Amino acid sequence: GRSDRYFKKKKEKMKRGHQDILHGGGGWYAVAPEMERGKRKTTMGAAEEGGDVDELLAALGYKVRSSEMADVAHKLEQLEMAMVSSAATNDDALLSHLASDTVHYNPSDLITWVDNILSELNAPPPPLPTPQSLPSADAYDLEPLPALPAPATPLVLGSDPQSEVAPSPRDRKRMKVCSSPPSSSTTTDAATSAAAALPVVVVDSQEAGIRLVHALLAGAEAVQQDNLKAADALVKQISLLATSQGGAMRKVAGYFAEALARRIYRPQPRGGVGCCSFDSVAFDDMLHMHFYESCPFLKFAHFTANQAILEAFAGCRRVHVVDFGMRQGMQWPALLQALALRPGGPPSFRLTGIGPPQPDNSDALQEVGWKLAQLAESIRVDFRYRGFVAASLADLEPYMLLDQDADGGGGGKDEEPEVVAVNSVFELHRLLARPGALEKVLGTVRAVRPRIVTVVEQEANHNGGTFQERFTEALHYYSTMFDSLEGGAAAAGADDGGPDQALSEMYLGRQICNVVACEGAERTERHETLAQWRGRMDRAGFEPVPIGSNAFKQASMLLALFAGGDGYRVEEKDGCLTLGWHTRPLIATSAWRVAAPAEDPLSALAAR
Amino acid sequence: MAGSNEINANESKTVVPLNTWVLISNFKLAYNMLRRPDGTFDRHLAEFLDRKVTANVAPVNGVVSFDVLIDRPTSLLARIYRPAPATASAAVALLPDLCRSPSPDPFPVIIFFHGGSFAHSSSNSAIYDSLCRRFVSLCGAVVVSVNYRRAPEHKYPCAYDDGWAALRWVSGEPWLRSGKDAKLRVFLAGDSSGGNIAHHVAVRAAKSGVEVSGNVLLNPMFGGNRRTESEKRLDRKYFVTIEDRDWYWKAYLPEGADRDHPACNPFGPNGAKLEGLPFTGSLVVVAGLDLVQDWQLAYAQGLKEAGHSVKLVYREQATIGFYLLPNTDHFYQVMDEINDFVGSNL
Repeated sequence: GRSDRYFKKKKEKMKRGHQDILHGGGGWYAVAPEMERGKRKTTMGAAEEGGDVDELLAALGYKVRSSEMADVAHKLEQLEMAMVSSAATNDDALLSHLASDTVHYNPSDLITWVDNILSELNAPPPPLPTPQSLPSADAYDLEPLPALPAPATPLVLGSDPQSEVAPSPRDRKRMKVCSSPPSSSTTTDAATSAAAALPVVVVDSQEAGIRLVHALLAGAEAVQQDNLKAADALVKQISLLATSQGGAMRKVAGYFAEALARRIYRPQPRGGVGCCSFDSVAFDDMLHMHFYESCPFLKFAHFTANQAILEAFAGCRRVHVVDFGMRQGMQWPALLQALALRPGGPPSFRLTGIGPPQPDNSDALQEVGWKLAQLAESIRVDFRYRGFVAASLADLEPYMLLDQDADGGGGGKDEEPEVVAVNSVFELHRLLARPGALEKVLGTVRAVRPRIVTVVEQEANHNGGTFQERFTEALHYYSTMFDSLEGGAAAAGADDGGPDQALSEMYLGRQICNVVACEGAERTERHETLAQWRGRMDRAGFEPVPIGSNAFKQASMLLALFAGGDGYRVEEKDGCLTLGWHTRPLIATSAWRVAAPAEDPLSALAAR
Repeated sequence: MAGSNEINANESKTVVPLNTWVLISNFKLAYNMLRRPDGTFDRHLAEFLDRKVTANVAPVNGVVSFDVLIDRPTSLLARIYRPAPATASAAVALLPDLCRSPSPDPFPVIIFFHGGSFAHSSSNSAIYDSLCRRFVSLCGAVVVSVNYRRAPEHKYPCAYDDGWAALRWVSGEPWLRSGKDAKLRVFLAGDSSGGNIAHHVAVRAAKSGVEVSGNVLLNPMFGGNRRTESEKRLDRKYFVTIEDRDWYWKAYLPEGADRDHPACNPFGPNGAKLEGLPFTGSLVVVAGLDLVQDWQLAYAQGLKEAGHSVKLVYREQATIGFYLLPNTDHFYQVMDEINDFVGSNL
């Protein structure tokens, strides 16, 4: 199809190893297609290739090629006739079917949207996966794990068949992470960031709040200009102004001021691990857990990713999920339950959980697996688990993730191959701190031929431009984030959200500190926007799998149940879903699969 | 395929450019799927299908936008559009600059109510973001696009209350005043249901002694119990049907009310008298292929008879939504009319 041809061209470019202007028939891109994309403010997709998109409709969010306009019009007429004739026969069933049962995808791609609906009229859709039940942590007893005492003997590589450790630190150093590809992996795409929007939601237009923001931005400017004396004075002024502020703004200002101060004075990082970080992974997981409880962002992330995974696993008897950030495994009880309730019964389910090394050598990763195994047993899902400890995802190799029991064990040749889903919630952006790491990881992902790759990332550019630009963008982002925490508490009728809110603020505060005070390999909170991730995934050989209206609806309903849900908004953009506070998207879920392989370049040329 | 149910798609196709036809037909068919016969609305699907854009403090064609929470309990948001502040050329506009007057000279503040028949769209819908940006470039205005609560979840008078809240908020912002007399030069504008809201907020303003410099109503949504000639003649011909109009009124108006309710029919049997009120002057734009034009023309006539200034612009071959795409004379000439009207009432 169209998207196949698009990715073919990308592959050929990569093969030739340079990015000259490609010419030929319509649809070849000028140099750096990501710049084209940035300029047009649209994303890649079928409509862009092979002809000009109607600019006026594109400005309104619809991608239709001019050459296809008449075709789209004709299909709309056909659709209307079908709707009219069903109304004439008083058959409301069709209309209500179109609305409630049909799953809509990617409304911006108008011709495909209409095509999908027209085909719905001709063939009944396959049954949708069972909707997930709402996650409730207490039902599955996944409390934060207490720190375990150090085992008598240290964990030995390979001795425990279920908990494998990636090569030891010494070995990792010897391993070449990756040969260095073009620098586009860590530098941001200037054109995309120039064209990218900076959305601002002002929740408090009081004079004092504005002066506070002004002081913060001036502080960042001073740091940018290396005027540390002025920066220091401003940090003090900020702290003073912040005391007269209330609510979210005061707290945000506090974190940004502290981060600025750290940047100015550069205190020695604790234990050399990096600024603003704590030694304990358990502490980190604990903050993460409270963030999970106090606001819907992580729940949304898990829910929408699970939806895409469920759909990808439809009809499969053997499935394997690779979780790039296992932590407390909060995402998986709901998926297990949905699979258990699947018509036709659950598949056999394998889970690979990746987690960072624990300094106290505790095997938290294994503990989580055991708990999930207990749950799986109680709902009769055949379950296997393997945990991998890795300081970086770039340490993973495909062989670690592939099914080592295939062709062995039971089933033999007749057994269905394993269908793989790779899941990454807020993990990919860390890889941008080291050149080549992301490419290595995406290469590993491609090598395991996943049916679906689910990615959730912060919807912000905290990795581009100058320090001042980064600071400004982060200030607006976290102001909105903190306001959502306040809003949630207020809506729940509480004066404040209690320990959950405070710890969630700390969780976010550490991100702020990292974005503002750290640089180089230490700066791991390198958030980028959906548009930027699309470019990266595209270059790495993935194509988008649109997330549909059913996932959107269910996520929206989940939010409505969440106290403070009023301000939260789910939006669809080019097949991805975002969750935001008021009008500002804050996190984005996208789904991907490996793009179709390239054809012979000569026949591709002839086809044009 | 003869009979009253036949939709003559060919007719509407001959009067609008093809891309306009595709855009509005797409809305029409999508909207058909959202309205349920029992009066409920598939809000989730509506939000899924609506194309939205975020605000942007980076200048695009010299215009920046940002969202403001006007009223927290109702989550009432408005999107503010303004000329890019002088300090930010290509750079991102900083918050303090955003809330500074764009000019010491008099400039209009346009409170804009988007259309959607009280049920559809939002202030961050792409079609309305685009239109509001154009108003800024056109008139040097600050535009406040109100994200009012929609039917059927929120019936009359929620939309009007939200409009009033926006006017009050605008009145309280010092940076929106201009000229030597530091005066707020506020216009109320809207298309379709937004035009209806603009009228009713203007009435409240007149009754409350709040000065409004002018009303701009684009294809405003009015109606009544009887079927007018234009409704019967144009039913189903140009994207809109009597049936869908009835549905939207039922969704917005109070339970049990009919279309002679004053919200729908301000100059009907239950309408308030506007004689003697300091009601503002109006620019009313009517599309000649809009089936509710008889109501819109009656509205303009009603204002005149009540002694208020009305400029009526009648575009004979225009359909609904002509102002969404800059690809017809209707579009450009009506924009000129708006500019003239705002400029002369500043």
